[in-house]
Amino acid sequence: MLSKSAARAFFLSGTLLFGAVFIWLTVDTFQRIPAQTNAGDLNESVVRGKHIWEENNCMGCHTLLGEGAYYAPELTRVYDRRGPAFIAAMLKDPEAVYPGQRRMVKYDFNEEQISDMIAFFEWIGRMDLNGFPPEPTIGMAAAAIAIPGGERPQVFTQICTACHSLGGVGGTIGPALDGVGDRFDRGYLMRWITDPQAVKPGTQMPKLELTEEQRNEVVIFLSKQREAGL
Amino acid sequence: MKYQSQKVAYWFFATCMLLLSLQLIMAFAHSGFDVLHPWIPFNVARASHNNLLVMWLLAGFMGAAYFIIPDECERPLYWPRLAYVQLIALVVVGVTAIIGFHFGWWEGRKFLEIPRPLDYLVVVDVLLFVANIGMTIWKAPKMTTTSIVLFFGLLMAALLYLPGMIPTDHQTHDAFWRWWVVHLWVEGVWELIMGAILAYLLIRLTGVDREIVEKWLYVIVGFTFLSGILGTGHHYYFIGTPSYWLWIGGIFSALEPLAFLGMAIYGVALAKKGGRNHPNRMALFWTVGCCIMSFVGAGLLGFAHTLPQVNLFTHGTLVTAMHGHMAFWGAYAMLVLAIMTYALPLLTGRKLFDTPSASYAFWSTNIGMVCMTVAFGVAGVAQVYLERRAGMEFLDVQRELKVHFIGLILAASLFTSGIIAFIYNFIRYGLPVGEVEESVSAGAAAAAPAE
Repeated sequence: MLSKSAARAFFLSGTLLFGAVFIWLTVDTFQRIPAQTNAGDLNESVVRGKHIWEENNCMGCHTLLGEGAYYAPELTRVYDRRGPAFIAAMLKDPEAVYPGQRRMVKYDFNEEQISDMIAFFEWIGRMDLNGFPPEPTIGMAAAAIAIPGGERPQVFTQICTACHSLGGVGGTIGPALDGVGDRFDRGYLMRWITDPQAVKPGTQMPKLELTEEQRNEVVIFLSKQREAGL
Repeated sequence: MKYQSQKVAYWFFATCMLLLSLQLIMAFAHSGFDVLHPWIPFNVARASHNNLLVMWLLAGFMGAAYFIIPDECERPLYWPRLAYVQLIALVVVGVTAIIGFHFGWWEGRKFLEIPRPLDYLVVVDVLLFVANIGMTIWKAPKMTTTSIVLFFGLLMAALLYLPGMIPTDHQTHDAFWRWWVVHLWVEGVWELIMGAILAYLLIRLTGVDREIVEKWLYVIVGFTFLSGILGTGHHYYFIGTPSYWLWIGGIFSALEPLAFLGMAIYGVALAKKGGRNHPNRMALFWTVGCCIMSFVGAGLLGFAHTLPQVNLFTHGTLVTAMHGHMAFWGAYAMLVLAIMTYALPLLTGRKLFDTPSASYAFWSTNIGMVCMTVAFGVAGVAQVYLERRAGMEFLDVQRELKVHFIGLILAASLFTSGIIAFIYNFIRYGLPVGEVEESVSAGAAAAAPAE
């Protein structure tokens, strides 16, 4: 039967061996991190963004690289998913973007701080994360259902789908947009997107800072959403 | 109680009770319904909840060490007054940190939110504590394995706090070092502390031969480090580190439950084998309960989402919260409550061993925690399918999960009622008595020699 000194030897040798291996792997990892994370793109703006991220304990609600709290959305790929315009709008006034939803602290960030945060998210979003976050495979089957209007403009998939769904994909905060082209003409859609409050005072739809070109893209795309058009 | 200086343990335990109450208040302040948002945003409640946990567990470990080490080493503490100074310093730093969180004075790094100037004070405080324990052992007529393992665990815990303070501008480096602290604490050196405290309790409560208990203590902590050190890799899957961590982390963290399984078997087997009927049955309940719940919470539920193929989908979801709650409860909270239940009658001289409120505290906290784990688990798995697999929007998914949070709050209320019963019991014991109780300490010491 195992003696106490043998048990102690097992403990000490195992600890020393695996401790040494761990330190060696740590050294190796640090040599590989720069290539995997595009450390060359780590400019001052990104670093300032990281510090804003920490000073406000953003990971006390959100996750980044899957780490943090589970109260607010994962932000690793937020730059691709929502784009800079949405992030800026959200950082300026979260409740204007998601009225009546789970609340985020309204920080009084200035323009420079917002652009630092966006730079930080863009840098994080380009890291090679060994496959994280995974692409949703079941939902993509629904998205493959033919939608009229051709390819969805980027501004639509990044911003509009945060609240609205089309073909079963997207948020449920605002109404679904299937067949919206049957209900409204282009002129109305343009006025609506440009200033929702002017069309329907008291609406929860936020006024989004889109460019003229983006507004045109969205309006043309939406006006093609006709049930008969399929 | 053998020595006057052990009395300081009582005040550490009282601190635990206070911090634990605050931790529960912070949990209810934000459990998925944000009416309190304008005053206590979620990130404040969460930072307070986590740091209060760490602090009360550390206070518990310190109290345990101040109680156990003189008993094991058969001599009083080397610097009895320093222990009080060090307790006051710990409370001041802790309270300052928690108040600071509410005014945005923090670091915003999960589990290590305490701001940098206070970090240094924590390190100084813990080193003073380790020095006090170390000198007591060093000057002792007798050095036991249990006390050496406990000392080594505490020392390493203090040293491993340092990597978390390495300054960096790179998010991956930041996360990498943060896990050196958090993982190597809870799945490494804290398990040494846990193993040593359990060994002490099992020797005292069951009367099984010290040689046998301490031999298995080495085997268990051996497995802990064998699996746990490289098991850190399960935090390095998706943070911008090389892909070899996927298989290193996967394999070694799959071995991590072995140490907890060992502890569960060891606790149950020794409790059965021990012929001695120790009057403090509740202490044995908490001790064996700790062995079992840590295996379920830390071992099994940890394993449930540690493999990279699974973790790819569960990483950063409520599944982690499911594992986290039961693991910390089973492994560390129950451990501190076990040593408190054992030590209180000895410290206060009042033998309130098997009261109804003590039983209620044990059963309702454990049943409550199991139910909370189920609620988190169901919510977490639903979140994985809706958000990660079906691609639904985060906020839409959270609305779907609301019903599980109602279940969670009900379970948490049951759990809290148990903690209230525990605190009620703690208060009933009253303050520690002045004199050293010969009869109790003689009884406890008699457990040490071979049967």
